[in-house]
Amino acid sequence: MIMNRRSLLTTALTLGAMKAFPGLSYAQARPLVFATFTGSWEEAHKAVLVPAFRKANADAAMVLDPMLSVDQIAKVNAAKANPPIDVMLHDPGPALVAIGQDLVEPYPVEKSAYYKDLIAEAQEPTGPAPFFQVVGLTYNPEAVKTPPTSWADLWKPEFKGRVGITNLNSTLGTGWLVEIAKMRGGSEANVDPGFKALEELKPNLAAVAANPGALATLFQQGQIDISPGNFNAIQILKARGVPVEFVAPKEGAIAFKTTIHIVKNSPNRELAFKLIEAALTPEVQTTLMNPPYLIVPTNSKVTMGGEIARVLAKDTAELKKKFVFQDWKKINEQRSAWIERFNREIKI
Amino acid sequence: MGVAPAARDVTSYGMGLAAPLALFFLVFFVAPLLQLFWLSLHNDTAGLHWGLGQYLHFLTDPFSLGVLGSTLLLGAEVTAVCLVLGFPIAWLYQRVGPKLQTIIILIVLLPLLTSVVVRTFAWIVILGRQGIINATLQSLGIIDTPLKLLYTQFGVVIALAQVQMPLMTLPLITALGRIDPNLDDASCSLGAGSWRTFFRIVLPLSLPGIIAGCTLTYAAAITAFITQSLVGGGQMLFMPMYLYQQASTLQNWPFAAAISIIFLLAVLAVVSVFTTLGRMSRGYGGAG
Repeated sequence: MIMNRRSLLTTALTLGAMKAFPGLSYAQARPLVFATFTGSWEEAHKAVLVPAFRKANADAAMVLDPMLSVDQIAKVNAAKANPPIDVMLHDPGPALVAIGQDLVEPYPVEKSAYYKDLIAEAQEPTGPAPFFQVVGLTYNPEAVKTPPTSWADLWKPEFKGRVGITNLNSTLGTGWLVEIAKMRGGSEANVDPGFKALEELKPNLAAVAANPGALATLFQQGQIDISPGNFNAIQILKARGVPVEFVAPKEGAIAFKTTIHIVKNSPNRELAFKLIEAALTPEVQTTLMNPPYLIVPTNSKVTMGGEIARVLAKDTAELKKKFVFQDWKKINEQRSAWIERFNREIKI
Repeated sequence: MGVAPAARDVTSYGMGLAAPLALFFLVFFVAPLLQLFWLSLHNDTAGLHWGLGQYLHFLTDPFSLGVLGSTLLLGAEVTAVCLVLGFPIAWLYQRVGPKLQTIIILIVLLPLLTSVVVRTFAWIVILGRQGIINATLQSLGIIDTPLKLLYTQFGVVIALAQVQMPLMTLPLITALGRIDPNLDDASCSLGAGSWRTFFRIVLPLSLPGIIAGCTLTYAAAITAFITQSLVGGGQMLFMPMYLYQQASTLQNWPFAAAISIIFLLAVLAVVSVFTTLGRMSRGYGGAG
């Protein structure tokens, strides 16, 4: 073997690089990676879920890597054989995309101790729903003296120029449009009545926000007084002293399942399962239900309490009565056409 | 023995020093761009069928063309506002003492030291229904009901103009600094008034700076996703948001790729108009 200066240098560099980036050579020995959402989700998971998981699993190493659903899908898609993420968290729309692209492992239901305790809507064999997101009416109690009770209240003449909505980019915007369509005789397959209703809402519209987060800013700035809104987002605003209240409309609050999935070909399949189990336990769900997190639980063994019991539901039976679930498989089929139509028609 | 090495030409430089940057660009800019182009040449979202369908869809759709048009127009408006407001500052900079110069440069640079997101949120507070402008006008009794400033084209133009202002002012300061102050005096002593001096001497000589500033401001304004969506809202659709919607929400990557390529070409066209003007003005600039 001939060793010249150049090959020696290359070898030294390679060894150095392997030392500096151990991930290069030991890809399969990385810790469990959980891609949660950014913001309040990350805070809640860091404070509650991760400690519970580590306690139950002999301090197993794990990393939170918060990112949007679409980024999770893109990252896993880019390296299907050796994905950089083990556990994904998704809203209903992206969850179906991930399942459709064959990126998730079926949940080992028969091995799970908690799956059967979940309320029926949360039992998804492709990945259970440990949390619900709830959309109802949000209003400023200083400007709106009689609390609204129905989605139809948004059309009241007294709210001329005071209503805010979001466009259909968000789960919230799309889900709300479907609910409005249903109220006027439409369905997930037919949102025409919803678009007609939007047309009639125009005089009342003060703003169409680009995302639900911007809606919060508009409340803070007094730009709008009433809007469809996410329960958790409102609690965060309320805690910061912004005058906002949440009510579940009598048509039912829209509930989105946030599902959690084991990524296909994950090198940490067993730990991924354990993490999801931890998210389903009554203990973790109870802690997350209490302030400051106020996340709606899906395990029927959790006794509802606090703000959630006051505003949403006292127990699972009432929760089922008051929540409406939507068929996102149907919604996804036409969502792009709706977004295009919204782009064209909604100009204020 | 030996031949004396040929004297190195001291006016030429090896390209070797530029190689790392060139390589960086090749790997992280040119390659993804080619990939984007390749993706845009597919008719289906999975990227299996070749065709020009995405381009046809965009170019035959009045709505999409409208989005492109309004984006290019937005850039022109912002650039015009920046030029009109930025030029006097740059002009002033060349005519004050060093202490004031430091203050002016600090004021010009200050916005660059805060994040775009923070600056944009500040504009939401200023333009809002109970914001500074509306509150002032109301307390003065000029208006009864608050004006709608947020989520309007006016709001976006004003906010973007402030956010991108340094990109205009800095090249202008440099260009005006290169003009020999004696030319002003000469012009005046030959009988030209201040306005005549400005239009015949200062403005032509500062053209290279104006063009550089316009190019930078224009490119930054039309691609400013954050400011456009936060101040413009969800119903004012510009190209960056349109792109985001297609790629991120709808996962329609080939169409999003086609939008990017079309947008890129449109911007390149505008920029090349600027640079052509710049080349034509070089005759003036060189004289300074």
